[in-house]
Order: sequence, then C-alpha cells, then structure tokens
Amino acid sequence: MEKSCTLLIHFDKGTPAIANEIKEALEGNDVPAKIDAMKKAIMLLLNGETLPQLFITIVRYVLPSEDHTVQKLLLLYLEIIEKTDTKGRVLPEMILICQNLRNNLQHPNEYIRGVTLRFLCRLNETEIIEPLIPSVLQNLEDRHPFIRRNAILAVMSIYKLPQGEQLLVDAPEMIEKVLLSEQDASAKRNAFLMLFTCAQDRAVSYLLTHVDRVSEWGELLQMVVLELIRKVCRTNRAEKGKYIKIIISLLNAPSTAVIYECAGTLVSLSSAPTAIRAAANTYCQLLLSQSDNNVKLIVLDRLNELKSSHRDIMVDLIMDVLRALSSPNLDIRRKTLDIVLELITPLNINEVVLMLKKEVMKTQSGELEKNGEYRQMLIQAIHSCAIKFPEVASTVVHLLMDFLGDSNVASAIDVVVFVREIIETNPKLRVSIITRLLDTFYQIRAARVCSCALWIIGEYCLSLSEVESGIATIKQCLGELPFYSVSEEGEATDASKKTPQANSITVSSRRPAVLADGTYATQSAASETAFSAPTVVQGSLVSGNIRSLLLTGDFFLGAVVACTLTKLVLRLQEVQPSKVEVNKATTQALLIFVSMLQLGQSPVLPHPIDNDSNDRIVLCIRLLCDTGDGIRKIWLQSCRQSFVKMLSEKQLRETEELKAKAQVSHAQPDDLIDFYHLKSRKGMSQLELEDEVQDDLKRATGEFVNDNDDANKLNRILQLTGFSDPVYAEAYVSVHHYDIVLDITVINRTKETLQNLCLELATMGDLKLVERPQNYTLAPESSKQIKANIKVSSTETGVIFGNIVYETSNVLERTVVVLNDIHIDIMDYISPAVCTDAAFRTMWAEFEWENKVAVNTVIQDEKEFLNHIIKSTNMKCLTPVSALDDECGFLAANLYAKSVFGEDALVNLSVEKQADGKLSGYIRIRSKTQGIALSLGDKITLKQKGGG
Amino acid sequence: MVVLAASILSKSGKVLVSRQFVEMTRIRIEGLLAAFPKLLGTGKQHTYFETENVRYVYQPIEALYLVLVTNKQSNILEDLETLRLLSKLVPEYSVSLDEEGIGKTAFELIFAFDEVICLGHKENVTVAQVKQYCEMESHEEKLHKLVLQSKINETKDVMKRKASEIEKSKIDKNRGDKGGFMSMGSGRIETSLSEISIPSSGSGFGSGSGFGGLINEVDSFPTKSKGRQPSSATAPPKGSGMQLGKSQKTNQFLESLKAEGELIVEDAKPKAGQAKAATALLTDPITLTAEEKLNVTLKRDGGMSNFDVQGTLSLQILNQEDGLIQVQIETGGNPGILFKTHPNMNKELFSNENILGLKDPNRPFPTGPAGDAAGVGLLKWRMQSADESMVPLSINCWPSVSGNETYVSIEYEASAMFDLQNVVISIPLPALREAPSIRQIDGEWRFDSRNSILEWSIVLIDNSNRSGSMEFVVPPADSSVFFPISVRFTATSTYSDLKVVNIIPLRGGAPPKFSQRTNLVTENYQVM
Repeated sequence: MEKSCTLLIHFDKGTPAIANEIKEALEGNDVPAKIDAMKKAIMLLLNGETLPQLFITIVRYVLPSEDHTVQKLLLLYLEIIEKTDTKGRVLPEMILICQNLRNNLQHPNEYIRGVTLRFLCRLNETEIIEPLIPSVLQNLEDRHPFIRRNAILAVMSIYKLPQGEQLLVDAPEMIEKVLLSEQDASAKRNAFLMLFTCAQDRAVSYLLTHVDRVSEWGELLQMVVLELIRKVCRTNRAEKGKYIKIIISLLNAPSTAVIYECAGTLVSLSSAPTAIRAAANTYCQLLLSQSDNNVKLIVLDRLNELKSSHRDIMVDLIMDVLRALSSPNLDIRRKTLDIVLELITPLNINEVVLMLKKEVMKTQSGELEKNGEYRQMLIQAIHSCAIKFPEVASTVVHLLMDFLGDSNVASAIDVVVFVREIIETNPKLRVSIITRLLDTFYQIRAARVCSCALWIIGEYCLSLSEVESGIATIKQCLGELPFYSVSEEGEATDASKKTPQANSITVSSRRPAVLADGTYATQSAASETAFSAPTVVQGSLVSGNIRSLLLTGDFFLGAVVACTLTKLVLRLQEVQPSKVEVNKATTQALLIFVSMLQLGQSPVLPHPIDNDSNDRIVLCIRLLCDTGDGIRKIWLQSCRQSFVKMLSEKQLRETEELKAKAQVSHAQPDDLIDFYHLKSRKGMSQLELEDEVQDDLKRATGEFVNDNDDANKLNRILQLTGFSDPVYAEAYVSVHHYDIVLDITVINRTKETLQNLCLELATMGDLKLVERPQNYTLAPESSKQIKANIKVSSTETGVIFGNIVYETSNVLERTVVVLNDIHIDIMDYISPAVCTDAAFRTMWAEFEWENKVAVNTVIQDEKEFLNHIIKSTNMKCLTPVSALDDECGFLAANLYAKSVFGEDALVNLSVEKQADGKLSGYIRIRSKTQGIALSLGDKITLKQKGGG
Repeated sequence: MVVLAASILSKSGKVLVSRQFVEMTRIRIEGLLAAFPKLLGTGKQHTYFETENVRYVYQPIEALYLVLVTNKQSNILEDLETLRLLSKLVPEYSVSLDEEGIGKTAFELIFAFDEVICLGHKENVTVAQVKQYCEMESHEEKLHKLVLQSKINETKDVMKRKASEIEKSKIDKNRGDKGGFMSMGSGRIETSLSEISIPSSGSGFGSGSGFGGLINEVDSFPTKSKGRQPSSATAPPKGSGMQLGKSQKTNQFLESLKAEGELIVEDAKPKAGQAKAATALLTDPITLTAEEKLNVTLKRDGGMSNFDVQGTLSLQILNQEDGLIQVQIETGGNPGILFKTHPNMNKELFSNENILGLKDPNRPFPTGPAGDAAGVGLLKWRMQSADESMVPLSINCWPSVSGNETYVSIEYEASAMFDLQNVVISIPLPALREAPSIRQIDGEWRFDSRNSILEWSIVLIDNSNRSGSMEFVVPPADSSVFFPISVRFTATSTYSDLKVVNIIPLRGGAPPKFSQRTNLVTENYQVM
C-alpha cells in the first residue's frame, strides 16, 4: 500500500534549506524562527527528503513549545512523517510524541484540543492512539461545540481502524448518547455520521425515533440522513418503504442542497412514476430557481440521466425543461435542446416547435452577441424536429427562410441545408418554398449559402412560371452586364441607370407566371412589391448580391450560377412551348456565361479565374449550344437522384445508430424478469446501478484498480539488463491515466552482498519522476521489488532510461549497470473519438503543428491500407464507410482520436493507386502540440510499411 | 458528498497549495491537479468540468485558480457553497493573490481549509468563525494561565513562609525547644483529617440502615420521571410534523406511490428500541416487584467478612383508576429481617395486619407508564448475618505452582436454599496473551483478554449440580493474582420470602389483577 498524501505545497528548489540551519533554528528560543524552520522542514519532507535526524531535535525542542502556531505545524509534521518501519511496525520513537499529544488533548486552549483531535482523525497507528483514548473521550463532553465536533470525528476514525472496535468497544453507544443530547448542528451531523459508518442499525433507529423532526434538522444532518437512507436501502431493499416518507418531507426543505440530494435519493430508491416525477419536478424547479450556471448544467445532466431511464415520465415535463432556455448561457441552452429533442413525441411536438419558434424570433430582436450561435442551435433543433415529424416543417420553414440572409453564415447555411432537405422530403411544400426562396434570394450574402440556394433553384423550379422567375431572379442578382467596363465611372452610372429597367423586365416576365396558376397570384403580388422595393434601393448601392460576390473573385460561385442557369434553360426547353422564348433565354444565359469568363480574364480582379470554374462555365456554354438527350438526363435527373440517395443514406445511418443504441439497452441474459401482473418490481431496480455509485468515491481517490488478467501482464515485461550482468533487472510497466508505474524486480546474481544499490532513472520527454531513488542492500542471490512512479503530463512518446549503481564490500568504488531503455508508447494515451465534420475542419484549420508523412507501403489496396493505419494508430475513421466503398483508385479519409489529457489528434490520409499498382500519397497529422504530431508521425512511419 | 481536495493553482498550472481530505496517494493527487489546466477550457461560462472519475469545481482568483476536486456524486450546490467560503478565506490570509503570496501563507491557508472541510465533509462555519478558530485566542487558556500564575505565586508565598518558619524553627532549635516540631506535625494532621472526612461521611450514609436507602429511593423518583419525559414526548404524535402543512399533498403523493406498487410503511418505528421496551413492558395493570440485593464478601480461606441483604417491594400501577388500593403481604417470618415502610404508608396498618396502604386513604398510589420497571417503593428491608450457612454460593479457589505452570482449581458449592440462575464467576488472571488452557470445567468459560479475566458461567445451579469445579493452567503467577473473584447470579426466591397475598381495592369491587415478581440479584459478591 502506498503512502497517502495529505498536503502539497509548492516548493521552490532554488532556495535549498540546509538541515543544519533548520536544526539550529529549532533549537533556539526565537518563536518566529522556529515557525519558519518548522515550515521549511515540512516542505523538505514533502519533497521527498527524509530528515531522520530532525525528529529527535523536534521532540526535544519543539514539543514543549507553548506557541500555538508551532504546535499546529508540529501536528502537520507528525502527519507527514513516516511513522512505521518497512515492515509496518510503529517506530519505537513515536511513543515520544504520545505524551505531547495527550497534553494537547487536555490543553486549556480549546483550539489546540480541537486541532489535535482533528490530527488524530488522520492517524492510522493504533499503538500511538491507544494511550490517547481516555483523553479523546473526555473531550466528547467538552463545553465547546468545536471540540465535540472534532472529538466525535476522532472517535469515528479510531473506531474505523482495523483494531478500532477493540480500542473503543462502546463507541457507538457513547456516540448515540452524545447524539441524543447534542445541540450543535455540526457536532450532531458528525455524531450521526459516526453511527452511520460504524453502527448503522443505531443510526437507523435514531432516525426512526426522530422521524417527525427530520424536517427541522440542520442541512448538514439532513444530507447525511439521505446518504444513510440510500445506503440502507441498497443493502436491505425491503426497508425502503419506511424511508420514502422522510424523503418526501425533505423535498420541502429550505436548503436547495438538501432538495437536490433528495431528488437524487428518490430516483435511486424508486422507479415508480410518481417518485420519478417528483424528482424530475424538483430538478426542474432547481433549474429555474438557481442562477448558477454550474448548478444548471449539472441538474441538466441529472435530467438527462432521468431521460434515458424514464423517458415516458420525462416526456410530460418537456415544457418545464424547455424553460431553461431563458438562461443566456449557450452550454445550458445546448444541453437543454439536446434533452428536449429526444423527448419530443407527436403529442408535444407542436408545443415544442412553437416555443422554439418564439425563441428564434427573440433572437431577431435582441442584440446579444451570442444570438447568432444560439439561432444556429435553434435552427438545428427545429431541423431535427422537422425530420422526425415532417408535418411541422410547413409551420417553420417560412420563418426560417427569413434567416437565409443572416449575417451569421453558419446559421444561414443550416437554414439552407434544412430547406434543401425539406423540399425533397416534403413535396407538398415545394411550390411555396421555391416562391419564397426566389423572393428572398437577393438577401443572401454568403457565397456558400448562395450556391446551395442556387442548386435548389436549379433542381426544384419545375413549372414554367417557376423556371422563368428563377432565371429572372438570377439575372437580376447578377445585375447589368457586362460586369466591368473599361471606365469604372461609366459602369457605375450605367448600372444605376439601367437597374430600374431590369427590374421592370423581371416584373413583366413574371406576369405570365402569375396568370398560369391563379392561386399564386396574391402571393406573387405580395412578394413582387416586397421584391421591387429593395431592389430600387439596392440598385443605387450595390447591384445584386451575386454580382458583388463575383466581383470579389469568387468564380466557384460563377460556375454554380452557370450550372443553375443551364439547368433552368434546359428545363425551360421542356416546359416552354414557345421556341422564341427559349432561344431568348438561352442567349441571355450564354451572354452571362461569356461575360463571366471575360471578367475572369480581366485585369480588374486580383486573381484570374481558376481552371476548374473556367472549364465548368465553358462546358455549360457548350451544353446550351448543343444539347443531347444523355447529357440532358444527367443534368435534369441524375443530380437529383444522387441527392435523394445521399438523404436516404443519411437516414439509413441514423436508423442504424438508433438500432445499435436500442440493442445496447436490451436486457442481459441474467437480468431479473418483471412479471407485470405479479407484484411489480418497480423501485427495486437500479440497485445494480447504485453499486457503481458506491465505487464512485473509490474510483475518485484512485483506490479502485481493476485487475487485468495476468497473461496480459506478462506481455509487458521488459528485460532491463542482461542475464550475465551481476544484477538482473526486469520491469513490468503499467500505464494508468496520468502516471506510469514501473514494477522493477532486481536480482543479485553474485555471491556477494550488494550495498547501497540504487536504481537511478532519468526520463526524456514529458515525463517526470515522482520520488527520489532510495538505496537498498541486496543479499547474495536475493531479489527485491522496487516500484517507481512516473508522472506523465502530455501525450508524447517518452523514454525512460537509467542505471543501477551499487557497491560491494570489498571494492569501494561504485559499479554501474546501464539499463535498457523503456519506451512509453503514445498509443497508451490516445483513444478513438468522434467529432463532427465541421469541428474537424475548424480544428484542422486552427492547429499549428502538422507532420506530413509520405506513404510508403507494400500494401496494394487503398482500403486495406486505411484499415491498417486505423488499427496501428488506434484512431477512429470519421469518413463514412459508404464514401469509401467504391473502387476508384484513390481514397481520402479523416481519422480522429483524443488523448486522455483532452488533446485532439487529427489525421488525414490521401492515397492514390499508381499505374504500377503501388500506393502513393500523404498522411498528414495535425495537432495543437508538437508532441502528438511528432510521436504519431513516428508511429505511422514505423507501422505503415505493413505486410509483415 | 465528499470533497477530495482543496487546492490553489497558478494560472500556469503549478500546484501552490493542496490539502487532501481523504486518503489518496501523492501520485494520484498530483495527476489530478496536473490534468486540471489541460481540461480547463476557455470561454466557458461555467466553472466546473468532469472527468471519468472526478469533478473539478473551480473559481479563478486573480492570477490563481481555487479548485475543489470532488467525486462525481458530490452535491454541486454544497460544493459551490464551500468554494464560495474558501474563496472568501483566501484573500483573508494571503495579502497578494499571486504565486509568491500564496507560497508565503501556504500553511495558514491549509489551517483555514482544515476548518472548513472535515474528512471531506463541509462544516457549518463562517469566515469570521474560521478566523477565530485559526487565531486560537482562548479565554480558557488565559484563565488557566492566570490560575497557574496565581498558584505559582501562592506556592512562592508558602515557600517564603515555610522558609521563614524553618528559619524560625532553626532559631528555636538553637534555643533548644521542642515545641516547634509539634506545631508543624499537628498542622499536617489537621489537613489530612479534613480530606478524609468527606468520603467517610459519604460511605456512612450509604451503609446506614434502611432509612438511608429509603431516602435514596425517594430521591430517585424525580430524576427518573425526568428521564422519562423526552421519550414520552416523542412517542405519541405519529408523524404529526409531516402531516402539518402539506399533509394533504404528501398523502396524495404517498397514495399514488402505493398505487404504483411502492411499499410504504406509514409509521416507521425503530426496531431495536421496540425490542428493548418489550422486555420491560408490563401488561398487567398492577405489578409488584420484590427485589433483594446481595452484598457478600467472603474470605479466600473460608469465612465471611460481610453479608448484607437489602430488599425493596415496589408497586407499579398503569392506570390512574387502579390507584386506590391496599396490598396485603405475607412474610416468611425470618426474624433477622427488619421491615421499614415508606413514610407515606400507614405504619399501624402494616404492623397489625400486614397490609400496605397510604396514610391518607383518599389518595391513590402514583401511577407510572409502562416500560419503566422501577415503580413506587412501598417497603424496604434489610438483613445482616454472620451465619455462614446463609451464603448461597461459596467459592473455593486453589492456585498451586508446579514447575513452569500454575494450576488453579476452583470449586463452588451452592446451598440448597436457592436455585441460582445465570451464574458467572469472574476470576482475574495475570496478564496473558492467550487464553489459559482449561483442563476441566462444569459449565462454560470465556476469556476476556482486555481485562484479563476468566469468566466461568453456569446457566443454572439446582439440585442436580449443587457443586462443581473447574481447573485451568496459566504461566506461573502469584496466588494473590487470582483474587478478588467476583460472582454474579440471580435467583427467583428471596431471603425474606415476601409474598403479596392480595390486593384490596378501597372502592370495593373485585380485586384487580396483579402480577408479582420476585428476584434476588447480586450487587457485590466477592471472594477476597
């Protein structure tokens, strides 16, 4: 068992304190100097010095000191010194401090008594405690609550010691008596806690005799009561009935902490709907009443847990949970939305969407900085609502389309993606969406949104009127041609002069559209006025949004415009009976294409048009000049088909994920079976879960070690020295989260005693040795187990190297055996993780460290290579399998992993099959820190060869 | 609900001070704190985050972080309060809130943290209280010091006086007078007398005849009834505290819980307490208890140095309406026994007709609730004897040393007068590590290693086993070690052979039911 550590103090190694100085100061009479020396001594001890010679000095000169601070420091000193020898026996000199402790326990100063009692709580050595027991017990009846409090705790910790029950046979009785007469809240709590931990039945009987006063007890005591109830019910399920009433009475307690605890207890005791509802209601109340964000978030966590275990009950509370959206904190809002989205049902969907809509509107009015992000969140939420319940789409889609022109690009993109999906899945809404989109198109500011909107226009304008107004809208947004003229001034005046004209043209071209379908007449008219008004205003400022984007050099958008126009014209050919009109539209489109190309080659812009866009526009020109049926089919149908395929793919993936989730929650073969018609087992459940809770503390203190199988252990043994070396050493390396433990076995292979044998270790990389090495004496042919702890502070490949130094009796000089290096593998620290595509991209853009590894492998197949890399790097492939499916001679995939320290590791793999069948390409690793990028790169370089 | 550690870190992640409240290894806490700056995200509006095993709750203070490490089940509301309190304390102790300042006051901060969190649990304290606790200004200590000082002064005075006296006596001696010596000696005797007188007077009262015992008994009435009050006050209202106010709502709640198959026990009563009460519970309306206490001291080589029996007859009435009664008794006619009645009793009635009744026939006997076995004392008696045949149980203990071991054989012999129950003979032994080896025994034995006592117990001594023996071996020891042997037993018959013949109701009607108990117990039964 490793020593426990009770305090840490930063110690500046720059100012070394010499043991002699400390000793002198301690021996002197100057109190401040003594205090100083004591502090220094404690700090040295904390830093691994042992200072054995100091103990006697302290016993002689510090123990008798009258000063309170000195006494307190003395207790700290006693707390941290080694009190036992290597075999676990108490050192004989420790008896010297007993007298002092006893005096302190009877000291006239109550605070000295108190701190001494508190010190006893941390003492484990029965031999020291035994003589002190009478004095401790005396303090139980002290006048000061401060003393009683600590005395009770001291009794508790003594009783908890291995032989404690013999030391203090009647402690529970005593404490029970104390509890009956105690008035101080804290002391009462401690007494109850003592009974709770040491004599549970007494605590229970006390609780039950005072059942009607529980609600009047202090907050601290109530908390322990709840803890007791949980524990009792865990071991004895049948008892539960007695306690529910207590919990209910505590639900009305004044202290919020108690209420919170109550709700938790209620959930853990019962799964009856009423109990869960009460707990959930309590959480909701806390959610609203508490202003602290931390509390809100944790309460939301609890609600989330409830949601997964008792969804049916939480569904009723959905609106209460939604009210948490009133908090301005984005994390809270996100969590709330996450919970709510999983609770929507056909019954409450309308209410929820209404609320979300209101929230969206609120974001329009207020000028809060986070509004954009929040709106994005809301839009995503509405989006997923609409996917689950397509009928709500009609109520929200128009509202959302107002945000197409949002200055927050991300939320605008979300909207447009949403619209794209809805228009495909909800054919009924198509017409209204298209009209609306055409009306609001001019507001769109961002290029990406614009291109997506253009795609929708190109794909979903089907009727003649729609196609025509689509073409008109695009033309209008492009403004007057040409895009530039030699004289800048001329162009500006031209544009301002001619826009009104263009406007009137569009209006006229729209008219037949309106007439074609009477039902749209009013809508169209309304949009027309809305449309024309801003254009006039805009005409003088900027001529069309696409135009201004093009003029900044975004030719990708130009290509999209060209494609859209081509599609529209192709469709026009199908729906427009008048050949003249078609030809007119075709020529106009061609004119636009040509002027775009012209703009691309002009010197006005800083960059000329890129080849891709150039090719694409040229292709469009060709297409319009010479159309074949095959190409027409591709343009008018195949695009749409692949989009439909993508959607269904997405749906499929989601359902599969759901299925996988559902699979997990199925019952285990050895689960208890509920016979609904017999006595319901409700409320008995969750006990298995509770057991885990109990381990929580143990896990938190690191006491909890799950033993791996020993065979696995043997695999990780490293030989450190040769068999013919005088000292043989081997190490078993176990890697925990933040530390590495080396279990080193050292065997003396000689016939001589090795003295002062010391294992000196040094590290390279982000590793740190925790303890200073100690010296051992090794008898002939005997062995010794040495443990070394090494702290890791970041994900990085590290090397531990060192040597064993020893002396033999006949040779005075020290002999050194150099050890084999121990490499710490980065793979122990990273684990596969998932992140969204967008997050991956932002991180990719953000991270500073990139390591580029050229592919060099014997593996011939791209997919096999990818799998090999995934396997050897312990990362998760973010690219969906379907995207990697087909044989096309090249492959690109994103891999992602997270380290235990929360660092991200990104890998992009791009490979192409060469003509000779070999793979070539690059693997790029990006991370925030150099360590990961380098180590992961090394790892990949080492492993990528494969084949073997 | 446990705080694992309270720590202060610098912005760069250096651990300045950390105090752990539960046992954990150094590597663990350092690991946890080293992970803190890495996990600390930026731009968050909340100040906690969780890992797989622990939760960090923190608060930035200028260039520092104050961090609480808790387990994940911990109550966040309470932890935040603790954190708030700690964050108020830090500037109280550390003047400059930076690395250097914290480093200078690290120990003071640890002391303060200790006052706020105890074994991981939050204490109910305020900043002012913590400051007070840490300052350790104790009025008591000052007083103590004053007293000490005054004592020193006094002693100095005494010393001076003595010195002068000695001086004087020296001068006197020089004169050749003896008187000085005498005066000093007599002074000493006086003081010692006054010290002795207090205990002697106390014991005199206690052993004084029946009268003294009666006084004791009378005295004990009020104290007992006081002791009863709290229990009677808490018992009757059944959960009234809960039924008040929100009772209806709670009931609804309970009903619906029940409907859902939840088992609810409406009136939860402690089990242990009930069991205890049940043994003493009286079902009969009137109970009469005759009890005799035995004080016997036997000499180890035979003979008896003390034999004393004290008896009481007590009456307990459950209901007020049964209070107007008289009790007719019958005594065994043992001439050695002197009876004394309670001062309120009609003495004549007793001496003439052996009927116990109150002087004032219109006054009822006081009633007492069930569960309290004491009742009202009516009659006391006492018997002393030098007759060895009266001793119910004689013990003969023979330690004999043989080589490296001491053989101890003990035998008991019980007189035919009584059947003794639950006899326990406790023999002190020299300090032993292991239980002595028992060679032969009638009955059972148990070794109490802490007190080093061998307990020989016989459940019942009746005509089948009027005598018995035990033999055991211990390492060599002086024979006096095995004394005094103390004996405990009970019996159901008494020396006085007092019996209640009848209960006479003063208001006429049928005599009420009554129960009678008789027992003899040992109070102090020793073989010296």
